[in-house]
Amino acid sequence: MRDPKNAVVEVELPDDFDDFWAAGLADCASHPLDPVLTELPALSTDRVIVHDLRYTSYGGLRVAGWYTVPRGPSAPYPALVTIPGYISEPTIPKEWSELGYAALAVAPRGKLRSNELFNPGYPGLLTHNIADPQTYGYRGFYLDVVRAVEVLLERPEVDSSRIGLQGSSQGGGLGISTAALMPDVIRCVAAGAPYLCGIMTAATLTRSYPYEEINEYLRLHPEDAGRVRETVAYYDGLNFAPKVRAPTLLYVGMEDDVCPPETGFALRRALTCETTLHAYPHCAHHAGLPGVLRIVEDFLAAHLTPGR
Amino acid sequence: MNSDVPPPGTVDPMTFDAYWSAVDAELAAIPARPVLDPVPARTTDEATSYTVRLTSAGPYRVTGWLSIPAGDGPFPALLQTPRYGSVNDMPHPNDRSRYVLFGLMHRGQRLADEGFAAAYPGLLTMGIDDPATYVYRGIAADCLRAAEFLMSLAEVDPARVAVRGDDLALLTAARRPGFSAVQLSELLFHRAMEARLKSSHYPLEELNDHLRAGSSAQTIGHTLSYFDPIRHAPAVTARTLLAVDDPGWCAALADALPAATVYQLTHLDGTDNDHLDAWLAERCGVPAMSKFVV
Repeated sequence: MRDPKNAVVEVELPDDFDDFWAAGLADCASHPLDPVLTELPALSTDRVIVHDLRYTSYGGLRVAGWYTVPRGPSAPYPALVTIPGYISEPTIPKEWSELGYAALAVAPRGKLRSNELFNPGYPGLLTHNIADPQTYGYRGFYLDVVRAVEVLLERPEVDSSRIGLQGSSQGGGLGISTAALMPDVIRCVAAGAPYLCGIMTAATLTRSYPYEEINEYLRLHPEDAGRVRETVAYYDGLNFAPKVRAPTLLYVGMEDDVCPPETGFALRRALTCETTLHAYPHCAHHAGLPGVLRIVEDFLAAHLTPGR
Repeated sequence: MNSDVPPPGTVDPMTFDAYWSAVDAELAAIPARPVLDPVPARTTDEATSYTVRLTSAGPYRVTGWLSIPAGDGPFPALLQTPRYGSVNDMPHPNDRSRYVLFGLMHRGQRLADEGFAAAYPGLLTMGIDDPATYVYRGIAADCLRAAEFLMSLAEVDPARVAVRGDDLALLTAARRPGFSAVQLSELLFHRAMEARLKSSHYPLEELNDHLRAGSSAQTIGHTLSYFDPIRHAPAVTARTLLAVDDPGWCAALADALPAATVYQLTHLDGTDNDHLDAWLAERCGVPAMSKFVV
C-alpha cells in the first residue's frame, strides 16, 4: 500500500548543478532578447488586448508566446507567466487579463510556433537526448520560460516587482525551476500536480505518460540507466526547490497516476520557502480542479494584487 | 441576413444526409492503404505496438497508434478518437493490454501534419463559413476511416468494438455500424453557440474571435449544425455512457441517444477515471483496471 505523504523520494544533486545552470543563463544572456510584439486586433476584446510575442532564448532560438494585457488606464499591471502542460498548447490567457494581469502564455521550444528548429515530437520531449545533460531537450525548454519572464521585465506596463508563475503538471514543474533560477524576480508560484520532480522515482510509480516514456527508453537502452539518472538530476524539481524563495502554492491529487503524489510531497519537503500544499483525496491529475482554481486565483491575487 | 441560410440547427434532413453521404462516398472511393510499423519501445509481453499510416478523404495521410494484446484473440477493440489539441494522450498500457486499441491523430495534429499543421487557436473555425470547406468535415472523415480500419483487423472481435472520445466519437458511432459501446466526455460541439457566451476560454473562444473578425452567428451556426451531436445521436444504437459536468445542460442530448446512461462527473477524477474504465470494461468483457497503481 502506498504512503504518498511519507514515501522516500531521493535525487542526487550533481556537484556542478549551479554551474550547469549558470552556463545556460550565460548563453541566454549572450543573445539579445529582441522581443517582438504584434497586436492582434481580431483576437482582442473590449477587455483584453492580445499580442503575438516572439523572443530569443537559449542557443539563439526564437520562441513564441501569447501576451495579453487588460484594456484600461490602470497600468502598471502585475504579471503572470502561464506555463503549458506536456501535451498542451498554450492558450491565449485572456481570462487572466480579465482579472487584471498582464499575462504571458509561453510556448517553449517544441510547442507550435516554436518548433521550426527544435521539434522532438510528442511523445519524445522527455527522452530527447536524455543520455546527455548538456543537450537534453529540456535544457532550452526550461530556459525559454526564464526568458519569458525577462520579456516581462522589459515591459513598461508591467510592475516588475509583481511577477508570478502559474501552471499545472509540466507548468507546475517549470514554475519551480524558473522560480529557482530567478529568485530575486519571482514573487509567487502556483504549481499544480508538479511534474519533473523526483523524476526517476516517478517512473517507477506509474505506467502513465509522460513518465512512461522513460520506461520505454530504458526498455530499448537498458545500458543507459545510469546516464539517464545523471541527466535528469540536473532537471529535477527537487534539486531546484531549495533555491526557490517565492511563496509557493502546491496542489496534488492523491490518486494522480500521471505525477505520483509521492513526488508532490517530496517537493513540499524540499522547498524551504513559504509553502502551502493542498492534497485532494480521490483526485488524479486534475489535482482538485476545477474547485482549486479559486484557491489559485486568491493566492496569486494576495501576492500580486491585481487592480491595485 | 442571407435568406438562403437556414437558422442554426435547422438544416433539413435531406441536406444533412446528403452532406454526410458525400463524405462516405469520398472515403469509399479512396483505399486506406494502411502501413504498419512496429514500435519496439512500446512492445511488451502485454501487447505489440505499431504506428499506422493510412489514407483518408482528401486524399490525406493520417497517423494512428495501434496495439494488439498478447495472446490468442479475438480481442475487444477500442477506437480512441482525437481530442481537440495538437497532441493526443498516448494510449495507456492498461488499455493496450486489454483491447485492440487504435488512437488516431487527425489531419493537422502532430504526427499527421505533413502538408497541414493545425493552428491552436484556429482549428475550430478553419473554413467554418461554409460547411463544405469546414476542416471538421475532413477530421470527421479521418475518424470514420479509423473506424473502418480498426474493424477490418482479424484480431478484433466484431461483437465487442467500442469508441471513446468527444463529439467525434459520437459522430463516428452514428455513421459506422458495428460499435457496441460508446463512451463520451468533454463534448465540444454540443450547444457550442450558447456555450461560447459563458467565458473567454478556448477553444470555444475561437468562435467569438471568428465573429469579431466579421463572420456571423447565422453562418457559423449553420455549419456547426452539421456536427451537432443531437443531430447524430439518434443513429447511435450502441450502449452509450455520457460523462458530463451538468446533466441538465446535456439532457436533450441524453434523450436523443437511444441507449444512453448519464454519468455526472464528480471532479474527484481518480474516482471518475475508475468509473469510466469499469463501465467500458464491463461492456467489453475485460477486467476493470485503475491507472493509479496501488
